[in-house]
Amino acid sequence: MAGILALTRVEFRRLLRNRRYLIFTVGFPVVLYLLVANRVSTTAYGVSFAAYYMVSMAMFGAFSGALTGNAQRISQEKKDGWIRQLRLTRLPANAYVVSKVIVSMATTVPAIAAVLLLGRFYGHVHLQAWQWLATAVTIWFGATIFAALAVAIGYRYQPDQVQPIALVVYFFFAILGGLWFPMTGFLQKVGELTPTYDAVKIGTDVIGNAAVSAGLAIGLLVWLGIFLALATVSVRATAETV
Amino acid sequence: MNQHGTGYRTARRADYGGAASIDRDYQSDQNDQSTAGYGAAGGTPVVSFVNVSKHYGSLKAVDGLSLDLRPGETVALLGPNGAGKSTSLDMLLALRKPTSGKIQMFGSDPYHAVKSGRVGAMLQSGGLMPEVTVRELVTLVTGLHPKPEPVDTTLKRAGIAQFADQRVDRLSGGQTQRVRFALAICGKSELIVLDEPTAAMDVETRRLFWNSMKEEVAEGRTLLFATHYLEEADQAADRILVINRGRLLADGTPAEIKARAGAKRLSFRLDQVNEQFLLGLPGLVNLEVRSDVVQIQSGDSDATLYAILDAGYRPREIEVSSLGLEQAFIAITAEDDRANGNNNGETN
Repeated sequence: MAGILALTRVEFRRLLRNRRYLIFTVGFPVVLYLLVANRVSTTAYGVSFAAYYMVSMAMFGAFSGALTGNAQRISQEKKDGWIRQLRLTRLPANAYVVSKVIVSMATTVPAIAAVLLLGRFYGHVHLQAWQWLATAVTIWFGATIFAALAVAIGYRYQPDQVQPIALVVYFFFAILGGLWFPMTGFLQKVGELTPTYDAVKIGTDVIGNAAVSAGLAIGLLVWLGIFLALATVSVRATAETV
Repeated sequence: MNQHGTGYRTARRADYGGAASIDRDYQSDQNDQSTAGYGAAGGTPVVSFVNVSKHYGSLKAVDGLSLDLRPGETVALLGPNGAGKSTSLDMLLALRKPTSGKIQMFGSDPYHAVKSGRVGAMLQSGGLMPEVTVRELVTLVTGLHPKPEPVDTTLKRAGIAQFADQRVDRLSGGQTQRVRFALAICGKSELIVLDEPTAAMDVETRRLFWNSMKEEVAEGRTLLFATHYLEEADQAADRILVINRGRLLADGTPAEIKARAGAKRLSFRLDQVNEQFLLGLPGLVNLEVRSDVVQIQSGDSDATLYAILDAGYRPREIEVSSLGLEQAFIAITAEDDRANGNNNGETN
Protein backbone atom coordinates (compact mmCIF):
# COMPACT_ATOMS: atom_id res chain seq x y z
CA MET A 1 0.00 0.00 0.00
CA ALA A 2 2.83 2.38 0.91
CA GLY A 3 4.33 1.49 -2.47
CA ILE A 4 1.17 2.43 -4.34
CA LEU A 5 1.06 5.74 -2.49
CA ALA A 6 4.69 6.45 -3.35
CA LEU A 7 4.03 5.72 -7.02
CA THR A 8 0.84 7.81 -6.97
CA ARG A 9 2.67 10.72 -5.38
CA VAL A 10 5.23 10.74 -8.19
CA GLU A 11 2.44 10.44 -10.78
CA PHE A 12 0.82 13.53 -9.27
CA ARG A 13 4.09 15.40 -9.52
CA ARG A 14 4.23 14.53 -13.23
CA LEU A 15 0.68 15.76 -13.66
CA LEU A 16 1.45 19.11 -12.06
CA ARG A 17 4.57 19.46 -14.17
CA ASN A 18 2.95 18.62 -17.48
CA ARG A 19 -0.09 20.85 -17.78
CA ARG A 20 -0.73 20.46 -21.47
CA TYR A 21 -3.69 18.25 -20.66
CA LEU A 22 -5.42 21.29 -19.16
CA ILE A 23 -5.81 22.80 -22.65
CA PHE A 24 -8.12 19.96 -23.63
CA THR A 25 -9.79 19.18 -20.35
CA VAL A 26 -10.31 22.76 -19.15
CA GLY A 27 -9.66 25.02 -22.15
CA PHE A 28 -12.08 23.44 -24.63
CA PRO A 29 -15.17 23.22 -22.41
CA VAL A 30 -14.57 26.69 -20.96
CA VAL A 31 -14.27 28.29 -24.39
CA LEU A 32 -17.32 26.39 -25.70
CA TYR A 33 -19.31 27.42 -22.66
CA LEU A 34 -18.38 31.06 -23.09
CA LEU A 35 -19.31 30.94 -26.78
CA VAL A 36 -22.57 29.01 -26.53
CA ALA A 37 -24.16 28.97 -23.09
CA ASN A 38 -25.84 32.36 -23.10
CA ARG A 39 -26.78 32.45 -26.79
CA VAL A 40 -29.41 29.72 -26.59
CA SER A 41 -32.61 30.63 -24.82
CA THR A 42 -34.39 27.28 -24.99
CA THR A 43 -34.43 24.71 -22.23
CA ALA A 44 -32.83 21.30 -22.39
CA TYR A 45 -33.36 18.20 -20.22
CA GLY A 46 -35.94 20.21 -18.30
CA VAL A 47 -33.54 22.97 -17.16
CA SER A 48 -32.24 26.22 -18.64
CA PHE A 49 -29.80 25.79 -21.50
CA ALA A 50 -27.06 27.47 -19.46
CA ALA A 51 -27.54 24.90 -16.70
CA TYR A 52 -27.65 21.93 -19.10
CA TYR A 53 -24.59 23.21 -20.93
CA MET A 54 -22.75 23.67 -17.65
CA VAL A 55 -23.29 20.03 -16.75
CA SER A 56 -22.54 18.69 -20.22
CA MET A 57 -19.40 20.79 -20.70
CA ALA A 58 -18.09 19.82 -17.27
CA MET A 59 -18.69 16.19 -18.23
CA PHE A 60 -17.05 16.74 -21.61
CA GLY A 61 -13.86 18.18 -20.13
CA ALA A 62 -13.69 15.66 -17.32
CA PHE A 63 -14.25 12.52 -19.36
CA SER A 64 -11.81 13.57 -22.05
CA GLY A 65 -9.25 14.13 -19.27
CA ALA A 66 -9.79 10.66 -17.90
CA LEU A 67 -9.79 8.99 -21.31
CA THR A 68 -7.48 10.39 -23.99
CA GLY A 69 -4.40 11.50 -22.07
CA ASN A 70 -4.39 8.40 -19.92
CA ALA A 71 -4.78 5.94 -22.76
CA GLN A 72 -1.88 7.58 -24.57
CA ARG A 73 0.37 7.62 -21.53
CA ILE A 74 -0.36 4.05 -20.53
CA SER A 75 0.30 2.81 -24.04
CA GLN A 76 3.57 4.75 -24.25
CA GLU A 77 4.75 3.60 -20.84
CA LYS A 78 3.93 0.04 -21.71
CA LYS A 79 5.87 0.33 -24.95
CA ASP A 80 8.83 1.99 -23.23
CA GLY A 81 8.93 -0.82 -20.67
CA TRP A 82 8.21 1.26 -17.58
CA ILE A 83 5.43 -1.16 -16.61
CA ARG A 84 7.93 -4.05 -16.93
CA GLN A 85 10.41 -2.19 -14.79
CA LEU A 86 7.74 -1.75 -12.12
CA ARG A 87 7.06 -5.48 -12.17
CA LEU A 88 10.60 -5.98 -10.91
CA THR A 89 9.79 -4.06 -7.74
CA ARG A 90 7.82 -5.44 -4.85
CA LEU A 91 4.75 -3.47 -5.99
CA PRO A 92 1.72 -5.71 -6.48
CA ALA A 93 0.79 -6.36 -10.12
CA ASN A 94 -2.21 -4.01 -10.10
CA ALA A 95 -0.36 -1.09 -8.49
CA TYR A 96 0.33 0.67 -11.76
CA VAL A 97 -3.30 0.60 -12.84
CA VAL A 98 -4.54 1.62 -9.40
CA SER A 99 -2.27 4.65 -9.28
CA LYS A 100 -3.30 5.66 -12.81
CA VAL A 101 -6.96 5.54 -11.81
CA ILE A 102 -6.32 7.54 -8.65
CA VAL A 103 -4.52 10.19 -10.68
CA SER A 104 -7.39 10.21 -13.21
CA MET A 105 -9.79 10.99 -10.43
CA ALA A 106 -7.75 14.13 -9.88
CA THR A 107 -7.33 15.07 -13.54
CA THR A 108 -11.08 15.41 -13.89
CA VAL A 109 -11.38 17.88 -11.03
CA PRO A 110 -10.02 21.09 -12.67
CA ALA A 111 -12.45 20.77 -15.61
CA ILE A 112 -15.43 20.19 -13.35
CA ALA A 113 -14.50 23.02 -11.01
CA ALA A 114 -13.82 25.48 -13.84
CA VAL A 115 -17.05 24.83 -15.73
CA LEU A 116 -19.27 24.79 -12.64
CA LEU A 117 -17.78 28.12 -11.51
CA LEU A 118 -18.38 29.48 -14.99
CA GLY A 119 -21.97 28.23 -14.86
CA ARG A 120 -22.51 29.99 -11.57
CA PHE A 121 -20.93 33.34 -12.43
CA TYR A 122 -21.29 33.53 -16.22
CA GLY A 123 -24.29 31.34 -16.91
CA HIS A 124 -26.16 32.60 -13.80
CA VAL A 125 -27.05 29.10 -12.63
CA HIS A 126 -28.22 29.31 -9.03
CA LEU A 127 -28.32 26.13 -7.00
CA GLN A 128 -28.40 25.02 -3.44
CA ALA A 129 -25.16 23.77 -1.95
CA TRP A 130 -26.26 20.12 -2.03
CA GLN A 131 -27.21 20.44 -5.69
CA TRP A 132 -23.75 21.76 -6.57
CA LEU A 133 -22.20 18.92 -4.64
CA ALA A 134 -24.45 16.22 -6.10
CA THR A 135 -23.90 17.52 -9.64
CA ALA A 136 -20.15 17.70 -9.20
CA VAL A 137 -19.90 14.23 -7.69
CA THR A 138 -22.07 12.69 -10.43
CA ILE A 139 -19.97 14.22 -13.19
CA TRP A 140 -16.81 13.23 -11.39
CA PHE A 141 -17.95 9.63 -11.06
CA GLY A 142 -19.31 9.46 -14.61
CA ALA A 143 -16.00 10.77 -15.97
CA THR A 144 -13.77 8.64 -13.79
CA ILE A 145 -15.20 5.38 -15.11
CA PHE A 146 -13.52 6.33 -18.40
CA ALA A 147 -10.17 5.88 -16.69
CA ALA A 148 -10.93 2.14 -16.79
CA LEU A 149 -11.59 2.40 -20.53
CA ALA A 150 -8.29 4.26 -20.89
CA VAL A 151 -6.53 1.33 -19.21
CA ALA A 152 -8.28 -1.09 -21.58
CA ILE A 153 -7.18 0.87 -24.67
CA GLY A 154 -3.72 1.79 -23.43
CA TYR A 155 -2.78 -1.77 -22.53
CA ARG A 156 -4.06 -3.28 -25.73
CA TYR A 157 -2.89 -0.89 -28.44
CA GLN A 158 0.39 0.68 -29.53
CA PRO A 159 0.78 4.43 -28.98
CA ASP A 160 0.24 5.25 -32.67
CA GLN A 161 -2.97 3.22 -32.69
CA VAL A 162 -4.23 4.74 -29.47
CA GLN A 163 -4.60 8.24 -30.85
CA PRO A 164 -7.28 7.43 -33.49
CA ILE A 165 -9.01 4.83 -31.32
CA ALA A 166 -9.29 7.21 -28.37
CA LEU A 167 -10.57 9.93 -30.68
CA VAL A 168 -13.32 7.72 -32.08
CA VAL A 169 -14.38 6.65 -28.59
CA TYR A 170 -14.24 10.25 -27.45
CA PHE A 171 -16.44 11.56 -30.27
CA PHE A 172 -18.82 8.64 -29.91
CA PHE A 173 -19.50 9.23 -26.23
CA ALA A 174 -19.40 13.02 -26.50
CA ILE A 175 -21.85 13.34 -29.42
CA LEU A 176 -24.21 10.46 -28.70
CA GLY A 177 -24.17 11.28 -25.01
CA GLY A 178 -25.48 14.74 -25.90
CA LEU A 179 -22.51 16.61 -24.45
CA TRP A 180 -22.22 19.12 -27.30
CA PHE A 181 -25.95 19.49 -28.01
CA PRO A 182 -28.97 17.43 -27.02
CA MET A 183 -29.73 14.55 -29.38
CA THR A 184 -33.15 14.10 -30.90
CA GLY A 185 -35.16 11.21 -32.30
CA PHE A 186 -33.44 7.89 -32.96
CA LEU A 187 -29.99 9.17 -32.00
CA GLN A 188 -31.40 10.27 -28.70
CA LYS A 189 -32.74 6.75 -28.06
CA VAL A 190 -29.30 5.30 -28.73
CA GLY A 191 -27.58 8.09 -26.86
CA GLU A 192 -29.62 7.40 -23.76
CA LEU A 193 -27.67 4.16 -23.42
CA THR A 194 -24.35 5.96 -22.94
CA PRO A 195 -22.77 6.72 -19.55
CA THR A 196 -22.10 10.30 -20.64
CA TYR A 197 -25.84 10.78 -21.10
CA ASP A 198 -26.57 9.05 -17.77
CA ALA A 199 -24.24 11.34 -15.85
CA VAL A 200 -25.48 14.54 -17.50
CA LYS A 201 -29.14 13.56 -17.04
CA ILE A 202 -28.62 12.81 -13.37
CA GLY A 203 -26.99 16.23 -13.03
CA THR A 204 -29.79 18.11 -14.79
CA ASP A 205 -32.45 16.16 -12.88
CA VAL A 206 -30.79 17.22 -9.64
CA ILE A 207 -30.67 20.81 -10.85
CA GLY A 208 -34.30 20.75 -12.04
CA ASN A 209 -35.45 19.15 -8.78
CA ALA A 210 -36.82 16.22 -10.79
CA ALA A 211 -36.78 12.69 -9.44
CA VAL A 212 -33.61 10.94 -10.54
CA SER A 213 -34.47 7.69 -12.25
CA ALA A 214 -32.72 4.62 -10.88
CA GLY A 215 -32.11 3.50 -14.46
CA LEU A 216 -29.58 6.31 -14.94
CA ALA A 217 -27.56 5.28 -11.90
CA ILE A 218 -27.76 1.62 -12.91
CA GLY A 219 -26.64 2.64 -16.39
CA LEU A 220 -23.51 4.26 -14.99
CA LEU A 221 -22.74 1.20 -12.89
CA VAL A 222 -23.24 -1.14 -15.85
CA TRP A 223 -20.82 0.93 -17.92
CA LEU A 224 -18.35 0.91 -15.06
CA GLY A 225 -18.66 -2.88 -15.09
CA ILE A 226 -18.14 -3.04 -18.87
CA PHE A 227 -15.07 -0.80 -18.77
CA LEU A 228 -13.59 -2.70 -15.83
CA ALA A 229 -14.12 -5.99 -17.65
CA LEU A 230 -12.46 -4.62 -20.81
CA ALA A 231 -9.58 -3.30 -18.73
CA THR A 232 -9.12 -6.64 -17.01
CA VAL A 233 -9.15 -8.51 -20.31
CA SER A 234 -6.60 -6.12 -21.81
CA VAL A 235 -4.28 -6.28 -18.83
CA ARG A 236 -4.47 -10.08 -18.65
CA ALA A 237 -4.07 -10.56 -22.40
CA THR A 238 -0.89 -8.51 -22.43
CA ALA A 239 0.54 -9.84 -19.16
CA GLU A 240 3.48 -11.44 -20.96
CA THR A 241 4.26 -8.55 -23.22
CA VAL A 242 4.57 -5.71 -20.76
CA MET B 1 74.03 -33.92 -36.89
CA ASN B 2 71.69 -33.71 -39.76
CA GLN B 3 71.24 -37.44 -39.82
CA HIS B 4 70.56 -37.46 -36.13
CA GLY B 5 68.01 -34.76 -36.46
CA THR B 6 66.14 -36.61 -39.13
CA GLY B 7 66.25 -39.81 -37.15
CA TYR B 8 64.90 -38.12 -34.12
CA ARG B 9 62.10 -36.58 -36.11
CA THR B 10 61.17 -39.90 -37.67
CA ALA B 11 61.15 -41.56 -34.30
CA ARG B 12 58.85 -38.94 -32.96
CA ARG B 13 56.52 -39.32 -35.84
CA ALA B 14 56.29 -43.01 -35.07
CA ASP B 15 55.53 -42.27 -31.44
CA TYR B 16 53.11 -39.60 -32.18
CA GLY B 17 51.51 -40.84 -35.34
CA GLY B 18 48.63 -43.19 -35.79
CA ALA B 19 45.01 -42.21 -36.12
CA ALA B 20 44.03 -44.01 -32.92
CA SER B 21 46.20 -41.90 -30.67
CA ILE B 22 45.12 -38.70 -32.37
CA ASP B 23 41.50 -39.64 -31.99
CA ARG B 24 42.07 -40.37 -28.35
CA ASP B 25 43.72 -37.01 -27.79
CA TYR B 26 40.91 -35.16 -29.47
CA GLN B 27 38.33 -37.17 -27.59
CA SER B 28 39.83 -36.54 -24.18
CA ASP B 29 40.07 -32.89 -25.08
CA GLN B 30 36.37 -32.86 -25.78
CA ASN B 31 35.57 -34.55 -22.52
CA ASP B 32 37.56 -31.99 -20.57
CA GLN B 33 35.55 -29.22 -22.09
CA SER B 34 32.15 -30.76 -21.67
CA THR B 35 32.71 -30.94 -17.93
CA ALA B 36 34.38 -27.55 -17.73
CA GLY B 37 32.74 -25.04 -15.45
CA TYR B 38 31.29 -27.56 -13.05
CA GLY B 39 34.67 -27.95 -11.40
CA ALA B 40 34.47 -24.52 -9.79
CA ALA B 41 31.51 -25.59 -7.65
CA GLY B 42 30.72 -24.46 -4.12
CA GLY B 43 27.49 -23.41 -2.40
CA THR B 44 23.88 -24.01 -3.34
CA PRO B 45 22.85 -22.49 -6.65
CA VAL B 46 21.55 -18.93 -6.68
CA VAL B 47 19.65 -19.71 -9.85
CA SER B 48 18.77 -23.03 -11.38
CA PHE B 49 17.09 -23.78 -14.68
CA VAL B 50 15.96 -27.36 -15.09
CA ASN B 51 15.06 -28.28 -18.63
CA VAL B 52 13.34 -24.95 -19.24
CA SER B 53 11.59 -24.31 -22.55
CA LYS B 54 9.62 -21.40 -23.88
CA HIS B 55 7.72 -21.88 -27.11
CA TYR B 56 5.85 -19.26 -29.08
CA GLY B 57 3.73 -21.37 -31.36
CA SER B 58 6.23 -23.43 -33.34
CA LEU B 59 9.17 -21.17 -32.44
CA LYS B 60 11.32 -22.59 -29.67
CA ALA B 61 12.80 -19.45 -28.15
CA VAL B 62 14.29 -21.46 -25.30
CA ASP B 63 14.66 -25.19 -25.77
CA GLY B 64 15.45 -27.39 -22.78
CA LEU B 65 17.83 -25.04 -21.01
CA SER B 66 19.49 -26.32 -17.82
CA LEU B 67 22.01 -24.33 -15.83
CA ASP B 68 23.08 -23.38 -12.32
CA LEU B 69 24.55 -20.13 -11.04
CA ARG B 70 26.63 -20.32 -7.90
CA PRO B 71 26.98 -17.55 -5.32
CA GLY B 72 29.54 -14.87 -6.16
CA GLU B 73 29.96 -15.83 -9.79
CA THR B 74 30.03 -13.34 -12.63
CA VAL B 75 28.43 -15.12 -15.53
CA ALA B 76 27.99 -13.92 -19.10
CA LEU B 77 25.13 -15.22 -21.17
CA LEU B 78 26.53 -15.01 -24.66
CA GLY B 79 24.66 -15.59 -27.84
CA PRO B 80 23.68 -14.04 -31.16
CA ASN B 81 20.47 -12.05 -31.55
CA GLY B 82 17.45 -14.29 -31.18
CA ALA B 83 19.41 -16.94 -29.27
CA GLY B 84 16.98 -16.80 -26.37
CA LYS B 85 18.99 -14.64 -23.97
CA SER B 86 16.29 -12.09 -23.23
CA THR B 87 13.55 -14.70 -23.04
CA SER B 88 15.63 -16.67 -20.53
CA LEU B 89 16.21 -13.60 -18.38
CA ASP B 90 12.53 -12.64 -18.64
CA MET B 91 11.54 -16.06 -17.33
CA LEU B 92 14.12 -15.80 -14.57
CA LEU B 93 12.58 -12.48 -13.53
CA ALA B 94 9.02 -13.86 -13.58
CA LEU B 95 8.07 -11.62 -16.50
CA ARG B 96 7.28 -14.64 -18.66
CA LYS B 97 6.18 -18.12 -17.78
CA PRO B 98 8.15 -21.10 -19.11
CA THR B 99 6.20 -23.46 -21.37
CA SER B 100 7.83 -26.31 -19.46
CA GLY B 101 10.61 -26.92 -17.00
CA LYS B 102 11.40 -25.36 -13.68
CA ILE B 103 13.24 -22.24 -12.59
CA GLN B 104 14.32 -21.62 -9.03
CA MET B 105 15.95 -18.59 -7.49
CA PHE B 106 17.28 -18.70 -3.94
CA GLY B 107 15.31 -21.88 -3.46
CA SER B 108 11.98 -20.24 -4.25
CA ASP B 109 10.02 -19.50 -7.41
CA PRO B 110 11.16 -16.49 -9.46
CA TYR B 111 8.10 -14.36 -8.64
CA HIS B 112 8.66 -14.48 -4.89
CA ALA B 113 12.40 -14.05 -5.24
CA VAL B 114 11.80 -10.89 -7.27
CA LYS B 115 9.19 -9.54 -4.88
CA SER B 116 11.46 -10.12 -1.88
CA GLY B 117 14.09 -7.86 -3.45
CA ARG B 118 16.80 -10.52 -3.71
CA VAL B 119 17.37 -9.72 -7.36
CA GLY B 120 18.04 -6.37 -8.99
CA ALA B 121 17.63 -6.26 -12.72
CA MET B 122 18.29 -4.06 -15.69
CA LEU B 123 16.16 -5.08 -18.63
CA GLN B 124 16.92 -4.42 -22.24
CA SER B 125 13.28 -3.52 -22.61
CA GLY B 126 12.97 -1.80 -19.24
CA GLY B 127 11.79 1.78 -19.58
CA LEU B 128 11.90 4.77 -17.33
CA MET B 129 9.12 7.01 -16.12
CA PRO B 130 9.27 10.28 -18.09
CA GLU B 131 8.73 13.82 -16.81
CA VAL B 132 10.51 13.20 -13.51
CA THR B 133 14.10 13.92 -12.56
CA VAL B 134 16.69 11.19 -12.26
CA ARG B 135 16.79 11.66 -8.51
CA GLU B 136 13.00 11.43 -8.20
CA LEU B 137 12.95 8.22 -10.20
CA VAL B 138 15.79 6.59 -8.27
CA THR B 139 14.17 7.70 -5.01
CA LEU B 140 10.85 6.16 -6.06
CA VAL B 141 12.33 2.78 -7.03
CA THR B 142 14.63 2.77 -3.98
CA GLY B 143 11.57 3.31 -1.81
CA LEU B 144 10.00 0.23 -3.36
CA HIS B 145 12.98 -1.97 -2.45
CA PRO B 146 12.75 -4.03 0.74
CA LYS B 147 16.45 -3.48 1.49
CA PRO B 148 17.22 -0.04 0.04
CA GLU B 149 20.64 1.55 -0.36
CA PRO B 150 20.93 5.29 0.32
CA VAL B 151 19.87 7.17 -2.83
CA ASP B 152 23.07 9.24 -2.94
CA THR B 153 25.19 6.09 -2.80
CA THR B 154 23.32 4.63 -5.76
CA LEU B 155 23.58 7.87 -7.75
CA LYS B 156 27.32 7.92 -7.15
CA ARG B 157 27.91 4.27 -7.89
CA ALA B 158 25.97 4.41 -11.13
CA GLY B 159 27.84 7.58 -12.10
CA ILE B 160 24.67 9.61 -12.49
CA ALA B 161 25.02 12.05 -9.57
CA GLN B 162 26.13 14.88 -11.86
CA PHE B 163 22.86 14.81 -13.80
CA ALA B 164 20.56 13.71 -10.98
CA ASP B 165 18.42 16.82 -11.33
CA GLN B 166 17.88 16.47 -15.05
CA ARG B 167 14.68 15.11 -16.43
CA VAL B 168 14.77 11.45 -17.33
CA ASP B 169 13.28 12.02 -20.78
CA ARG B 170 16.05 14.49 -21.68
CA LEU B 171 19.04 12.17 -21.22
CA SER B 172 21.33 10.69 -23.85
CA GLY B 173 21.22 6.98 -24.62
CA GLY B 174 24.27 6.21 -22.50
CA GLN B 175 22.98 8.28 -19.59
CA THR B 176 19.65 6.49 -19.77
CA GLN B 177 21.46 3.15 -19.59
CA ARG B 178 23.24 4.24 -16.43
CA VAL B 179 19.97 5.32 -14.83
CA ARG B 180 18.54 1.91 -15.61
CA PHE B 181 21.63 0.39 -14.07
CA ALA B 182 21.05 2.53 -10.97
CA LEU B 183 17.57 1.00 -10.63
CA ALA B 184 19.18 -2.46 -10.65
CA ILE B 185 21.58 -1.64 -7.80
CA CYS B 186 19.42 0.65 -5.66
CA GLY B 187 18.84 -2.10 -3.11
CA LYS B 188 20.94 -4.72 -1.40
CA SER B 189 20.10 -7.47 -3.89
CA GLU B 190 22.19 -10.63 -3.85
CA LEU B 191 21.78 -11.29 -7.56
CA ILE B 192 22.12 -8.66 -10.27
CA VAL B 193 20.76 -9.43 -13.70
CA LEU B 194 21.72 -7.20 -16.61
CA ASP B 195 20.35 -7.67 -20.10
CA GLU B 196 22.77 -6.12 -22.61
CA PRO B 197 23.80 -3.47 -20.11
CA THR B 198 26.23 -1.53 -22.28
CA ALA B 199 24.14 -1.26 -25.43
CA ALA B 200 24.08 2.42 -26.49
CA MET B 201 27.18 3.19 -24.41
CA ASP B 202 30.33 4.55 -26.00
CA VAL B 203 33.66 2.87 -25.29
CA GLU B 204 34.62 5.15 -22.41
CA THR B 205 31.23 4.86 -20.73
CA ARG B 206 31.39 1.11 -21.15
CA ARG B 207 34.76 1.01 -19.39
CA LEU B 208 33.42 3.14 -16.52
CA PHE B 209 30.38 0.95 -16.32
CA TRP B 210 32.40 -2.23 -15.88
CA ASN B 211 34.60 -0.55 -13.31
CA SER B 212 31.61 0.28 -11.14
CA MET B 213 30.19 -3.15 -11.83
CA LYS B 214 33.36 -4.73 -10.43
CA GLU B 215 32.79 -2.81 -7.19
CA GLU B 216 29.28 -4.20 -6.97
CA VAL B 217 30.49 -7.73 -7.49
CA ALA B 218 33.36 -7.29 -5.04
CA GLU B 219 30.74 -7.32 -2.29
CA GLY B 220 30.07 -10.96 -3.05
CA ARG B 221 27.05 -10.47 -5.25
CA THR B 222 26.26 -12.84 -8.06
CA LEU B 223 26.09 -11.23 -11.47
CA LEU B 224 24.42 -12.58 -14.57
CA PHE B 225 24.61 -10.50 -17.73
CA ALA B 226 23.58 -11.08 -21.29
CA THR B 227 25.72 -9.63 -24.00
CA HIS B 228 26.77 -9.95 -27.58
CA TYR B 229 29.91 -7.92 -26.96
CA LEU B 230 32.35 -10.77 -26.85
CA GLU B 231 35.30 -8.89 -25.42
CA GLU B 232 33.00 -7.83 -22.63
CA ALA B 233 32.18 -11.41 -21.74
CA ASP B 234 35.87 -12.24 -22.03
CA GLN B 235 37.01 -9.47 -19.72
CA ALA B 236 34.22 -9.24 -17.18
CA ALA B 237 32.98 -12.78 -16.68
CA ASP B 238 34.55 -15.70 -14.84
CA ARG B 239 32.17 -18.01 -16.61
CA ILE B 240 30.51 -17.87 -19.99
CA LEU B 241 27.36 -19.63 -21.07
CA VAL B 242 27.08 -19.75 -24.83
CA ILE B 243 23.54 -20.17 -26.07
CA ASN B 244 22.16 -20.49 -29.54
CA ARG B 245 18.66 -21.44 -30.69
CA GLY B 246 17.58 -21.51 -27.06
CA ARG B 247 20.04 -24.23 -26.10
CA LEU B 248 23.18 -24.19 -23.99
CA LEU B 249 26.16 -24.92 -26.23
CA ALA B 250 29.09 -24.30 -23.96
CA ASP B 251 29.68 -23.56 -20.32
CA GLY B 252 33.11 -22.67 -19.03
CA THR B 253 35.70 -20.01 -18.32
CA PRO B 254 36.55 -17.67 -21.19
CA ALA B 255 39.79 -19.65 -21.70
CA GLU B 256 37.91 -22.93 -21.86
CA ILE B 257 35.39 -21.55 -24.31
CA LYS B 258 38.19 -20.36 -26.56
CA ALA B 259 39.93 -23.72 -26.31
CA ARG B 260 36.77 -25.58 -27.06
CA ALA B 261 36.33 -23.72 -30.31
CA GLY B 262 39.96 -24.11 -31.25
CA ALA B 263 41.73 -21.10 -29.87
CA LYS B 264 44.45 -20.82 -32.53
CA ARG B 265 44.32 -20.45 -36.23
CA LEU B 266 47.10 -22.16 -38.13
CA SER B 267 47.52 -21.39 -41.81
CA PHE B 268 50.11 -22.42 -44.37
CA ARG B 269 50.62 -23.40 -47.97
CA LEU B 270 51.13 -27.03 -48.81
CA ASP B 271 51.33 -28.77 -52.18
CA GLN B 272 49.61 -32.11 -52.66
CA VAL B 273 47.31 -31.78 -49.68
CA ASN B 274 46.16 -35.04 -48.13
CA GLU B 275 42.85 -34.07 -46.52
CA GLN B 276 42.44 -37.40 -44.75
CA PHE B 277 45.75 -36.87 -43.01
CA LEU B 278 44.90 -33.27 -42.07
CA LEU B 279 41.55 -34.29 -40.60
CA GLY B 280 43.38 -36.70 -38.31
CA LEU B 281 45.63 -34.04 -36.84
CA PRO B 282 45.68 -33.60 -33.05
CA GLY B 283 43.74 -30.63 -31.66
CA LEU B 284 41.98 -30.01 -34.95
CA VAL B 285 38.62 -28.37 -34.65
CA ASN B 286 38.02 -27.03 -38.12
CA LEU B 287 39.74 -27.45 -41.46
CA GLU B 288 39.51 -25.34 -44.58
CA VAL B 289 41.45 -26.09 -47.74
CA ARG B 290 41.52 -23.78 -50.77
CA SER B 291 43.83 -25.19 -53.45
CA ASP B 292 47.24 -25.12 -51.69
CA VAL B 293 46.14 -22.86 -48.79
CA VAL B 294 45.28 -24.73 -45.62
CA GLN B 295 43.57 -23.10 -42.64
CA ILE B 296 43.23 -25.06 -39.43
CA GLN B 297 41.51 -24.09 -36.24
CA SER B 298 43.14 -25.96 -33.41
CA GLY B 299 42.76 -26.39 -29.69
CA ASP B 300 46.50 -27.19 -29.50
CA SER B 301 48.35 -25.50 -32.33
CA ASP B 302 51.76 -26.77 -31.17
CA ALA B 303 50.69 -30.40 -31.33
CA THR B 304 48.98 -29.83 -34.66
CA LEU B 305 52.04 -28.23 -36.20
CA TYR B 306 54.44 -30.85 -34.80
CA ALA B 307 52.30 -33.62 -36.20
CA ILE B 308 52.42 -32.05 -39.67
CA LEU B 309 56.18 -31.64 -39.51
CA ASP B 310 56.65 -35.08 -38.00
CA ALA B 311 54.74 -36.59 -40.90
CA GLY B 312 57.45 -35.24 -43.14
CA TYR B 313 55.48 -32.38 -44.66
CA ARG B 314 57.19 -29.06 -45.15
CA PRO B 315 54.46 -26.42 -45.26
CA ARG B 316 55.40 -22.89 -46.34
CA GLU B 317 54.33 -19.47 -45.02
CA ILE B 318 53.29 -20.86 -41.67
CA GLU B 319 51.22 -18.46 -39.58
CA VAL B 320 49.82 -19.13 -36.15
CA SER B 321 47.37 -16.55 -34.78
CA SER B 322 45.23 -16.38 -31.70
CA LEU B 323 41.51 -16.65 -32.10
CA GLY B 324 39.58 -14.18 -30.02
CA LEU B 325 36.51 -15.17 -28.14
CA GLU B 326 34.60 -13.75 -31.07
CA GLN B 327 35.90 -16.37 -33.49
CA ALA B 328 35.47 -19.01 -30.82
CA PHE B 329 31.91 -17.95 -30.42
CA ILE B 330 31.30 -17.93 -34.15
CA ALA B 331 32.90 -21.35 -34.41
CA ILE B 332 30.71 -22.79 -31.66
CA THR B 333 27.48 -21.36 -32.99
CA ALA B 334 28.37 -22.24 -36.58
CA GLU B 335 29.09 -25.79 -35.49
CA ASP B 336 25.68 -25.84 -33.82
CA ASP B 337 23.92 -24.40 -36.86
CA ARG B 338 25.58 -27.03 -39.04
CA ALA B 339 24.61 -29.82 -36.67
CA ASN B 340 21.11 -28.46 -36.60
CA GLY B 341 20.94 -28.36 -40.37
CA ASN B 342 22.14 -31.99 -40.50
CA ASN B 343 19.57 -33.08 -37.97
CA ASN B 344 16.84 -31.46 -39.96
CA GLY B 345 18.10 -33.26 -43.04
CA GLU B 346 17.88 -36.59 -41.26
CA THR B 347 14.46 -36.14 -39.78
CA ASN B 348 12.90 -34.80 -42.96
